[in-house]
Amino acid sequence: MSQVPRNFRLLEELEKGEKGLNGDGNVSYGLESPDDTYLSSWIGTIIGPGNDYPSKPPAVKFTSKINMGCVSGTGAIETKSFPLLKDWNPKTTIETILIELRREMGSSANKKLVQPPEGSNY
Amino acid sequence: MMLSKRIVKETQRLMSEPVPGISASPLNDNLRYFNVAISGPVESPFEGGVFHLELFLTDDYPMAAPKVRFLTKIYHPNIDKLGRICLDILKDKWSPALQIRTVLLSIQALLSAPNPDDPLANDVAEHWKSNEKDAIATARDWTKRYANTQ
Repeated sequence: MSQVPRNFRLLEELEKGEKGLNGDGNVSYGLESPDDTYLSSWIGTIIGPGNDYPSKPPAVKFTSKINMGCVSGTGAIETKSFPLLKDWNPKTTIETILIELRREMGSSANKKLVQPPEGSNY
Repeated sequence: MMLSKRIVKETQRLMSEPVPGISASPLNDNLRYFNVAISGPVESPFEGGVFHLELFLTDDYPMAAPKVRFLTKIYHPNIDKLGRICLDILKDKWSPALQIRTVLLSIQALLSAPNPDDPLANDVAEHWKSNEKDAIATARDWTKRYANTQ
């Protein structure tokens, strides 16, 4: 096998991370800045189960800036305004929460809101 | 790994008969890895700029397309923030009959003919479709800022 240059190796890893193909749904990774041409700064996320989870809902927070009904000024999802967390069922999974959040982003009330520039973070 | 005869031949021809406006030379320590420079085509918003790219021939070449991306920042609807290129011959339209030379020519042609209907950089494509004149001005500005050799 010939040696794959650093940049192309990292691009492959990035694509895997972007598509969520890393097999284990409990970790995710990507570039810190979307225009980091030399692919130098990465962010990895480990989803660690909280002590009370799943009997209590997890805390959910956006790191990308978003303008949306149930999201506070710090990016945190306000439990009281997000029914899935408010009426928490221990069978609900992280995946369900994310899918529901995505659905909420597309709701008619939220769709109209002007969004902060792409790439801005809390 | 031994370089195939084909890669050796292609490389020699790229060096001895370079395509106008394009240079490509392999790195000393990895002859499958090329430094590429493409001059912005005349009468395009990229005119006057020199754009650097990197190109890599995987072990599957020529059965698989070369991997190639821009290192110089460029404002173009088919090139994303990391320089990745949306071009059919680099994906499903690749054929082993194509060469490094034809790939680079196609990329040069893509600079002359941006295609906002098949975008990779969505925000740029939107800009291009909603206000082409303004998008072209931004592309010119980026060329001056990032691809200027002076």
